[in-house]
Amino acid sequence: MKKRTDKAWYALFVLPLVFIFTTVVIIPFIIGIGYSFFSWDGIGLNPKVFVGLDNYKQLFTDIRFMDSAKHTIIFTVVAIIFINVLGLTFALIVTSELKTRNIARTMLFMPYLIGGLILGYIWKFIFTDAFSKIGEITGWNKIFFNWLLNPNFALAALIIVATWQMAGYIMIIYITGIQGIPGDVIEAARVDGAGFFDTLFRIKFPLIMPSFTICLFMTLSNCFKIFDVNLSLTGGGPSQATEMFAMNIYNEIFSLNHYGYGQAKAILFFIVVGIVTLIQVSITKKREVTMQ
Amino acid sequence: MRKKKIISILLAITLTAGLMVSGCGKASDTAASNKTTEKAATESAADSSGTAATETESAADTVEAAKKIVVFQSKVEIMDQLEALCEEYGKETGVEVEVWGTTGDDYVQQLKIKLSNNQGPTVFSLAPGSESDDLISYLADLGDLSFVKDIAANMADEKDGKVVGIPYTVEGFGVVYNKDLINPAEITTTDAFIQMLKDQKAAGINGFSLSQESYFLIGHILNTPFALQSDPGAFVQQVVNGEVKLQDSEDFQEFARLMEAVRDNTNNPLEITYDRETGDFATGKSASIHQGNWCYGMFADYDVNFDMGIMPLPISGNDKLAVSVPACWYVNSQASEAEQLAGKQFLEWVYTSEIGQKYLIDEFGFIPVLTTMESVSADPLSQSVAEYTAEGKTIGWPMNTYWPAGIVDVNLVPVAEKFFTTDMTGEEFLAELNEAFVTAGK
Repeated sequence: MKKRTDKAWYALFVLPLVFIFTTVVIIPFIIGIGYSFFSWDGIGLNPKVFVGLDNYKQLFTDIRFMDSAKHTIIFTVVAIIFINVLGLTFALIVTSELKTRNIARTMLFMPYLIGGLILGYIWKFIFTDAFSKIGEITGWNKIFFNWLLNPNFALAALIIVATWQMAGYIMIIYITGIQGIPGDVIEAARVDGAGFFDTLFRIKFPLIMPSFTICLFMTLSNCFKIFDVNLSLTGGGPSQATEMFAMNIYNEIFSLNHYGYGQAKAILFFIVVGIVTLIQVSITKKREVTMQ
Repeated sequence: MRKKKIISILLAITLTAGLMVSGCGKASDTAASNKTTEKAATESAADSSGTAATETESAADTVEAAKKIVVFQSKVEIMDQLEALCEEYGKETGVEVEVWGTTGDDYVQQLKIKLSNNQGPTVFSLAPGSESDDLISYLADLGDLSFVKDIAANMADEKDGKVVGIPYTVEGFGVVYNKDLINPAEITTTDAFIQMLKDQKAAGINGFSLSQESYFLIGHILNTPFALQSDPGAFVQQVVNGEVKLQDSEDFQEFARLMEAVRDNTNNPLEITYDRETGDFATGKSASIHQGNWCYGMFADYDVNFDMGIMPLPISGNDKLAVSVPACWYVNSQASEAEQLAGKQFLEWVYTSEIGQKYLIDEFGFIPVLTTMESVSADPLSQSVAEYTAEGKTIGWPMNTYWPAGIVDVNLVPVAEKFFTTDMTGEEFLAELNEAFVTAGK
């Protein structure tokens, strides 16, 4: 009897989710794969022409797409490092005996609550107007100029904003990890004469490995898929220097009306993100230790 | 510890609640629009008490007009006034006209999605040209509206000889200048224009300004050399096919020379927004800007203490303003016949009734497109545009008519950004623009 009610409960919670997931993710995804074999402009009554694998072949000669891949990879690698290092540092600080730790925690988490689009516009103002003003006043023109007009600095600006937004969120995950470490282990280490760094690298890090797995996964996939900040901060400019994968696909589909080709890009994008994150998860999973 | 737990639970709840609310919002949105179309369809089928005060010629058909139609259009500026107009229409005829909102930016995408899902509006707007070509299968024949014959020459959107689009207004762009600082009679060649930039710079004034938004940055200004070709349509096609290169055309060489001078002698347009461009002009910091009559409304917030006018961009001695129709009304050919009829009646009423015309001219600020309507527009820029139009001194907008769709935002803006941030030569600039056309036209 008990088993049956358990199952009913299970179904009650899971089925709606399965239904939603199927209708908004799985089915469109499968249809999307279908579209990637067609040449179509996205208008219902206009003809769809079957072109087989031509869309996929075209991908590898698309310089602009390859460029955006390059930007995305640079952005993702640098941003992941910054976000995680900062997130972890914040987490260590706010779990210490600091008096203002609760305030600090709130403040650090705050940027994540602001939507990416708005964040982008706010920082756009800072990088263009505020920076040029500061440069004018202080004379430090080498650092303070309109960052969004220089290809390299625009990419850096994007990384800074993404870091600012994500670091607080990642911090929360690390905090839960650090708080999950039993006090006696740390105490034992201290009694054995381990210093701050010994405790950090030999006790804390191995024990919060699960947090690393989650955080790296989240940052990796989020950075790969970044779109909102990209759109509002740089819009892909100057001269496409900050056009990321997602934006390239968006432009292909919605501005140039190449639905089939854009869809092929999206599928490739999915495969790349999938492979990279799977590899990452499997590597970090192996390094997780379990408490005996 | 307990406090923390409560807080985390609360956080989780707010997050999920937020998700649900936003999810629901969307769901009910579509549901609502679903309902409206269904409702309109059923109503039109069931209801047979025709009230139409403004019968079109096509009312000879046995179809009764629908009691409710939906209007979706791109011009954000006239949204409130349009809603008021629709209310008036409802009062007069009993037909409910619902206006869907848009932010303007993704209007075309939204429209396409709605049309493809058969939830399209009855009456919608598009830019005549590449945009209306794409959606040609959705455009109903409007030839039977009574006022079509009165539309000024070449202004209606025609497909296969049938009138499918009713123009909103005409708009013209060129160099909007400060009459205290610039004498248009002197600026009739590229060289004179460049000299003016240098003189103004020497006097401490920004001679000419573009702004960072895609069309204001490159779309409009690049339109001029294209429009100067004897057959712009064929020319664009040849460029796309690689038969002609922009670098080889004299008009474009002049254009590039002018752009170099703009880069060397004026503010960097990438740092200027539309607001700042018009603001600087209104306060006398800029002597001229590349804009159209639509920007006059921007000066309302300023105390403008000079007279302004609009003159042609003088590439290759050009003395014509770029004037065309920015948008047309269309009726959705995939809607039910009853809805189409109601849509046509609505347009008929807007363009022929007294109150409709009053709204078009006074409230929307449109320049009349019907020869039977009289222009009473007060602002000097619209007047100039109307005068140029009356004298026939106009060139078209190949940027809407012939350029590949989406090219300005996706392909031309990056080139322009590169031009304004590096010291590439005009020749290289043209070569990259040329490349952009070849890529986008594929």
